[in-house]
Amino acid sequence: MSSLTFQELILELQSFWGENGCVILQPLDLEVGAGTFHPATFLKALGPENWNSAYVQPSRRPQDGRYGENPNRLQHYYQFQVVMKPSPADFQERYLDSLRRLGLDPLEHDVRFVEDNWESPTLGAWGLGWEVWLNGMEVSQFTYFQQAGGLECLPVTGEITYGIERLAMYLQDVDSVYDLVWSETPTGTIKYGDVFHQNEVEMSTFNFQQADVDHLFSYFEFCEKEAERLVSLELPLPAYEFVMKASHTFNLLDARHAISVTERQRYILRVRTLARLAAQGYVASRAKLGFPLADKDLAEAALKALAEESAA
Amino acid sequence: MSTQTVLFELGTEELPAGEYEGMANALASGMASGLEQQGLSIGEMTVFATARRLAVLIKHVQERADDMEQEVLGPPVAAAKADDGTWTPAAIGFAKKQGMSADELQIINTEKGDRLGVRKVAAGALCADVLPAVVTHAVENIPVSKRMRWGRERHEFLRPVQWLVLLYGSDVIDVSVFGLTSDRVSRGHRFHGQSSVTIPNADAYETTLREQFVITSADERKALIKNQVEALVSKDERVVIDDNLLGEVTGLVEWPVALRGSFDESFLTVPRQALISSMREHQKYFHVERLDGELVPSFITISNIESKRSEAVVYGNEKVIRPRLADAAFFFDTDKETTLASKALRLESVLFQRDLGTLAEKQTRISEVAQTLSQTLGADKATVKAAGCLIKADLVSDMVGEFPELQGIAGRHYALHDGAPEAVANAIEQHYWPKFSGDQLPQSPESAALALADRLDTLIGIFGIGQVPTGSKDPFALRRASLAVIRILLAFAPTANLEMILTTAKQSFPSGVLDEGVVDTVKAYLLDRLPAHYEEQGVSVDILRSVTAVGTETIGDIDCRSLAVANFAGSEAANALAAANKRVANILTKVDEALPAISEQLLTETAELSLRAALTESQASLDLAVADNDYPQALSNLAKLREPVDAFFDNVLVNAEDASVRLNRLALLQELRGQFLKVADLAVLAR
Repeated sequence: MSSLTFQELILELQSFWGENGCVILQPLDLEVGAGTFHPATFLKALGPENWNSAYVQPSRRPQDGRYGENPNRLQHYYQFQVVMKPSPADFQERYLDSLRRLGLDPLEHDVRFVEDNWESPTLGAWGLGWEVWLNGMEVSQFTYFQQAGGLECLPVTGEITYGIERLAMYLQDVDSVYDLVWSETPTGTIKYGDVFHQNEVEMSTFNFQQADVDHLFSYFEFCEKEAERLVSLELPLPAYEFVMKASHTFNLLDARHAISVTERQRYILRVRTLARLAAQGYVASRAKLGFPLADKDLAEAALKALAEESAA
Repeated sequence: MSTQTVLFELGTEELPAGEYEGMANALASGMASGLEQQGLSIGEMTVFATARRLAVLIKHVQERADDMEQEVLGPPVAAAKADDGTWTPAAIGFAKKQGMSADELQIINTEKGDRLGVRKVAAGALCADVLPAVVTHAVENIPVSKRMRWGRERHEFLRPVQWLVLLYGSDVIDVSVFGLTSDRVSRGHRFHGQSSVTIPNADAYETTLREQFVITSADERKALIKNQVEALVSKDERVVIDDNLLGEVTGLVEWPVALRGSFDESFLTVPRQALISSMREHQKYFHVERLDGELVPSFITISNIESKRSEAVVYGNEKVIRPRLADAAFFFDTDKETTLASKALRLESVLFQRDLGTLAEKQTRISEVAQTLSQTLGADKATVKAAGCLIKADLVSDMVGEFPELQGIAGRHYALHDGAPEAVANAIEQHYWPKFSGDQLPQSPESAALALADRLDTLIGIFGIGQVPTGSKDPFALRRASLAVIRILLAFAPTANLEMILTTAKQSFPSGVLDEGVVDTVKAYLLDRLPAHYEEQGVSVDILRSVTAVGTETIGDIDCRSLAVANFAGSEAANALAAANKRVANILTKVDEALPAISEQLLTETAELSLRAALTESQASLDLAVADNDYPQALSNLAKLREPVDAFFDNVLVNAEDASVRLNRLALLQELRGQFLKVADLAVLAR
């Protein structure tokens, strides 16, 4: 097996899912903890509109930083995210085809779907699905969204999240993420460590030691107020940006151990409340446009349900 | 009688391993009872279940149910004709509804009198006709723990449904559920089989799928896995096959292939439970031991394919387990860099419960209570004290943070590393015992004292702040804690006074924190758990009520009396005496006045004289037996009262006209009742 470089792996996944009808997007330019936060997943999962998309999302988890010393843990890593709404009947087969495309033959490697129920307390979202195991290693999450922002999902969005560093470590048979070959260039081999090691060291130092706690607390309050204000102005998209900022600010405070165990739950609830507001605002704004990307019958049913709700 | 085999297969995306078997069984029983309700006889039934399919095969299903004579009842004959002999509107209406004239109706005798009616022969149902409704109903009644939707429809199931096969013999029967319509097309193994497999007829189901690398029977897969796993260990090794794990891996594969991998021997310095947890919980591996119980640096995984390169699968699995074990080793090493005593200091920043303070405070309370109770349990106070200030310290270790199930075990290792005596290390580990119902008890009195104090602290604390567990919500596992208290007391301090023990626990809390009545509340709760404790020993709730009704000072006493009564109950004498006790109790509750001492002069009738004599005789031996806690002896003494008691009730009128005679007889009965109440209130057992 001639293994793919890290960048080839991303390119292969992009072209595979592009061929499968997904809109290939670029990463969101804000700090988020997972690809699910990207509006192309969280917001598009709401309401009756169809949507198929795939993108790489840099994901930041300040708590997971290890100053570049742990071969498996990073505070900044990549997820490759695929969403298809409605989830197609052959979604699992398509996923398996994507593995084949990466050079993984499921008659050689043991691929299994192991029960996993996903929940994001901050997004008020949950779904059912699996972890996908490749020879015992979890390489992807597979989820059918049931609820997002506290709202029922219909049609259902099917979501696949590939942990691409893990997959690449497997394909390239290396034990440290920093040894991954990112790309072969005329001036030599560029490794993951060349690209990101210094970043892990410095960002871990920042996250754990230098992030300004007082400022972060007041910034959290500011984001909360902004999100509420923007929702009331019927600007759900900017409002949602502040939800994401609030969420990341919370994660930083958590990494600084600035939030007690009991307080922690309250902060999560505050973010969830904002996510709900933004979600409701987004659906209302799409309804105003008549849910242009939805199947006609579902658009009409959704509009009717919303009208009945506001009448009641 | 013409019969055929019915096959129904519900194809799905991978169902959770813990649930698919129960779902398949529910589907099967739903189909069987549905067919029977239609009057169709059925033969042998087989249930097939994998993560991707629930299937039921029923042999010899009648093609057409037997015709059945039916009686349709109309109005009573009395109301069928008017005085002039003409049919009443009720009769005419009924006849019309049956599509006939009133003259054609018959008279049918019923239990409730003669009725106008008609006997019809209903043609038996055709299997092919009723099968779709039977299947639909059975599918709708499959229990689903958590429902989900998929695609753009509103259908709900545990995971998306992909295909349906419904055959009667070789015929496809149409049924539509989940927006799908049945056919004869199943699917083979995800990777080895074809994605579309034609099932020629119902009986060919199992073999057809086997050719497609699907072993449809869960039991067969289970047995196969067991054999394969055992074949992978050598003569001087054994493999530990945990039933839960076996069930789980059986649910993850349609074509099981066991493979053995290994890990670096250096990891064996890590506590074995951490290694086993890493393998079992995270990776669903079986672990291998030498015959002396030492872990072998190997694991066995069950893959779902016959890999072209099984070494690649093994290599991959080894690559996954390595960092996990390395994590465990790393935690173990870093934890050992600081002492357990220094970890204990960090308990001050960990909350146990908002109103009950930190884990540090809890640990201090447990230690104090356990020391106070040392003598009661026969424990060495110094050891209890030494372990008491360390028992919860491992909760802040990295190891327990990663592997919560290692609480206590990690502490034991760290204590030994710090040079603590074996007895202290044991107490740290064993104060969590019994961990679950039926688990082993702590083995030393010191461990037991701490285990008891820990449970009491939780029970008294949580009840004391009013957080009473409700039906399904018991977040602090108070039920389990209570059962542990009962078992520990029985084993280590059967004669300890319950109230004293609970009061000791209460006194370790600062004043004002707990509800004043908490000792009584917890005592009542503990006594309410007795039926659960005695469930397997055949001691019924009634027996326990009869025993606790007369005294609940110590668990040991309750235990002796309960077992004696249980042994006694059910005998003829017991039933008679229970009835007599109930009768006496009823009579005595109606008495308002104070009863005098028994007067020998007022006893006249033979039966009351002989009861008096029997009571006097039993009194002495009863007191002896009770003093010795020899309740079987006490009960067999009391059993001798049966005849005089029966004779008394047969021949003596308690409510004599003469008030003094009446009161004297009542006093006699009170004496009788008093003797029984030294053992149990048998009146509770009367039917």
